[in-house]
Amino acid sequence: MKAIYGILTMAALTVSSVSQAAEESHNSFFQKDLYTFEALAGVNIGGAAPIPLPVEIRKIESYNPNLNLQLGGSVTRHFSTSSRWAVRIGLNLETKGMETMANVKNYGMEIYQDGKKLSGRWTGKVHTRYHSQQLVIPIEGVFDCSRKISVNLGPYLAYAFRNDFDGYVTDGYLREGDPTGNKVSFDTESRATYDFGDSLREFHWGIRGGVTWNAYRHFNVHANLTWGANGIFESSFKTVSFALYPIYLNLGFGYRF
Amino acid sequence: MRQHLISCLIPAAVALVQCSCVRDEAPNAECDILSVSLPGDILSRQPVIGNHEITIMVNEGVDITNLAPTFTLTPGATISPESGTSHNFTEPVEYTVTSEDGEWHKTYIVDIQRPAGITLEYSFDHVRQITSNKGTYSYDEFYEVGTDGKISLTWASANAAFALTMQGTTPETFPTYQYTSGKKGSCVALTTRSTGTFGAAMKKPMAAGNLFIGEFAMANALAKPLEATHFGTPFMSEPLSLSGSYIYKPGEQYCVLGDDGKLKPVEGQTDEFNIYAVFFEATPEMEWLDGTNVMAADNPNIIAIAEIPEPTPSANWKDFVIPFIYREGKTVDPEKLRQGRYSITIVMCSSKKGDFFAGAIGSTLYVDELSLLCK
Repeated sequence: MKAIYGILTMAALTVSSVSQAAEESHNSFFQKDLYTFEALAGVNIGGAAPIPLPVEIRKIESYNPNLNLQLGGSVTRHFSTSSRWAVRIGLNLETKGMETMANVKNYGMEIYQDGKKLSGRWTGKVHTRYHSQQLVIPIEGVFDCSRKISVNLGPYLAYAFRNDFDGYVTDGYLREGDPTGNKVSFDTESRATYDFGDSLREFHWGIRGGVTWNAYRHFNVHANLTWGANGIFESSFKTVSFALYPIYLNLGFGYRF
Repeated sequence: MRQHLISCLIPAAVALVQCSCVRDEAPNAECDILSVSLPGDILSRQPVIGNHEITIMVNEGVDITNLAPTFTLTPGATISPESGTSHNFTEPVEYTVTSEDGEWHKTYIVDIQRPAGITLEYSFDHVRQITSNKGTYSYDEFYEVGTDGKISLTWASANAAFALTMQGTTPETFPTYQYTSGKKGSCVALTTRSTGTFGAAMKKPMAAGNLFIGEFAMANALAKPLEATHFGTPFMSEPLSLSGSYIYKPGEQYCVLGDDGKLKPVEGQTDEFNIYAVFFEATPEMEWLDGTNVMAADNPNIIAIAEIPEPTPSANWKDFVIPFIYREGKTVDPEKLRQGRYSITIVMCSSKKGDFFAGAIGSTLYVDELSLLCK
């Protein structure tokens, strides 16, 4: 909740600074040539990564960033026609996802079957699929370094309206309950599935920053790094004993109206 | 630290994260006894190591009042009392293993036995309940009490494997459980159960109720189920026949294992149960029998088999006496018998082909008042 207040405060400050700037330059707030509208399409490449990797993860065998699309638009308002500073607010529909296969040791696990769960410690391979569809609102300050290049930085707020985090375990063994429990071996043919989708967080916030290259008159190229401030799981979720932060590199193209 | 952070900063390079950020392995959290040995050539069988108990069978005449077993443990773990110290094993001795990270402890009961005749009468009146997964399930474990009031035999079943399917909650929802209306007192009930989505995913869509003399090796349960049933315990008499009483109600729809791992119905076939006993020689190469060879015609260790000839359904208690049929050319060496070199197992199962996942869900076998007649 604190995070949301933080964002609201930042947004309020941004808006007030915009209006202040507007007044200072004696321009009408809605003066048309101060605004730039842009339609965006891009891809997100990244993952939900624990930083640093927890000791439970011994090896990442494979990683697939998936094709995570981003569609949206933004509006940028310069403080004045001569100012290099601007503020940008966007609205994006984004997918964030990844698929990994990792080798783990003594990894907290809950296998779900027919509505029941069996918890324990897993040593072996874990396949994970994370897929989240989100509505993302970035609120950023923009600085024009040159006529062609600008940089941006600011917080974003995201609401995940669809969330999946599932996968399977194979080729290893489960200690039922805790490390002293019954040992059950799984060969490469045996899989047990898990699904932690219900424990994923719906509201996220984080920091986004990047660079825009105005390649042609109407055409922008964006590169942004988004770094989630929340772990992807609700804080009450303890099975995965470490936080996974959504960290994505976003590459996109924009059409400037 | 800074470099560490930067290398993690670039999320597109999660592959890099692997190189730069996989941290040193944590100390082990497990605290298992992996193996046990005793000085000298005094073992009659390989030790049986469970998750909390170890049974060591030594040769006849070995003095068990002063023995010093040595243990190998999960790397880094420690044991108390120390490995290699001498103890009096007239009564079982408790050992506590502590994990390398110091956070986990496990107590093992180490029981050293000399070959002794097991009870010959089995009433199925005694069970203890095994509860796990934070109390979400419990199942029955059968044991028999000898004339001296001590536990003379603990029956094995695959209930622990069924627990993994999460289809079981209370003991009577498991494939093997105690039923109060036996022929005399309580009896054992064996029911063929569906293993739900977990079982189907493992291509093991059913679990036949089973009870046998031997050990169930949980670690093999999923990967090599036929090798999870270790049949046999030392036996020092020459068996002649197995008798007892049963009720059998076959389930409605006979099924076999389909290619998709699910059950495929087969029309016009009725499920059958099985009750059999195998008397065999335990050799270092074959200390126990398992699902792959327990009745095999070419198994050289088998001396005699008693198998119920007509496993017909019966709604009321039906008595049976099954003679042991000794295999051609097989005789019993009295000296080996005295030394405890032979073993016996009794196996009961609610679906005869259950080990190959064929049978009818719901088939139920009740067995009571089993007894072995010996020479």
